[in-house]
Amino acid sequence: MAEQSGDGIASHLQYWTYVVDESNPFMQIHVDTMILTVTIATLLVGFGIWLKGRVVEGAPTGAQNFMETVVGFINDTVNDNFPVHNPHVAPLAFTIFVFILLCNTLDILPAYLIGHTAHLFGAEHFRPVPTNDLNLPAAMGVSVFVMVLYYEFKLKPVHFMKELVMEPFTSLVPMVLKPVVMPINLILKLVEEVAKPLSLSFRLFGNMFAGEVIFLLIASLLLGGGAVAMTAGFFVGLGWSFFHLFIGLLQAFIFMILTVVYLSIAHQPVEH
Amino acid sequence: MSIDLTFIGQIIVFLTMVFLLKKYLYGPLNDAMEARTKKIAEGLAAADAGKEAKAKAAAEIDAQLKDARAKAQEIVAGAEKRAAELSEEAVVKARTDAQQIVEAARGEVEAEANRARQALRKEVASIAMMAAERVLDEELDAKRHAKLIDNVVSEGFGRA
Repeated sequence: MAEQSGDGIASHLQYWTYVVDESNPFMQIHVDTMILTVTIATLLVGFGIWLKGRVVEGAPTGAQNFMETVVGFINDTVNDNFPVHNPHVAPLAFTIFVFILLCNTLDILPAYLIGHTAHLFGAEHFRPVPTNDLNLPAAMGVSVFVMVLYYEFKLKPVHFMKELVMEPFTSLVPMVLKPVVMPINLILKLVEEVAKPLSLSFRLFGNMFAGEVIFLLIASLLLGGGAVAMTAGFFVGLGWSFFHLFIGLLQAFIFMILTVVYLSIAHQPVEH
Repeated sequence: MSIDLTFIGQIIVFLTMVFLLKKYLYGPLNDAMEARTKKIAEGLAAADAGKEAKAKAAAEIDAQLKDARAKAQEIVAGAEKRAAELSEEAVVKARTDAQQIVEAARGEVEAEANRARQALRKEVASIAMMAAERVLDEELDAKRHAKLIDNVVSEGFGRA
């Protein structure tokens, strides 16, 4: 506990960073996030390959049954929201949901366990939850945003371009003023569009980051004290673990369903 | 806590994962589920069709049974009628036969009686002749007195 109180909470919020170029802050990479996400991805794909060999069309059992529940749930969500059928959306939503859920669930592992293990391999800091790293939510949010833009331009290019400059003010002003409000419209619309990936990624990041900070607060405020404080800290930490687990599930669901909703808006047929 | 190269790395990881999970996890499961849905739907449809066919067959059986029963009724009725006719005929025929037999018997009896009467008449005539011979003690010419004897016999037998 001594080293923890000495360094403070901030030291636990450092990444294991590999700096590629000192002069450019962009040219560095968070090794812990990369290792964890690649591990989770490898495990997921490995699990998929393992399961693929034993998928049966008859009554499913065990792992297949469980995964079919998830797939059925995702399919229901996508089918409820989508006006047209797009075979790429459900796998995307499925990946987002499962991946974020797994990343968030890592949070209930004791932070020190992974941290100290990483220390043995020479890492100065190690953040156990990849969704705590803004890079991961931002990467997913931006990917989803690019897909939304792609479908907007692919399915209704004219309508989308028109919407960019004609909404929301054009119908309210006389004809002569239309060119004047067009730039305003464009700025507003761009803000609206950019808000989607921003809110998507910051929501997930903020929730998971706050959860981590609260874990650290509980630890630093209670676990350092006497026996009573230790006991209280254990139970408070346990309670927060359950709640944070639930938040992780909820955030995974929210990220997934918002992705589906944004994509379904892009797929919405043009109304005349 | 800043955007850096990890961002690029995460995009690559994420997109690769979308691709691989679609191929290895979501795809097979979804296919299996769809196949099962189809199978169940087909099974239910087949069950419905079977039920319908069964109901149809039952209705057909009913109709055929009814038909057969009606036909049987008809046949029995016809047979009964024919039997009644036959027995009627038989009775009539028996009656006429009996009549005929009775009549024939009656004729025969009459003929027999006539014959017996004739024979008796002859016998009585010869007895009367013998008696007359005894009485007269003399042989009478049967031919000469035949008329007389006949009269005596018919007198004696006519009343008998």
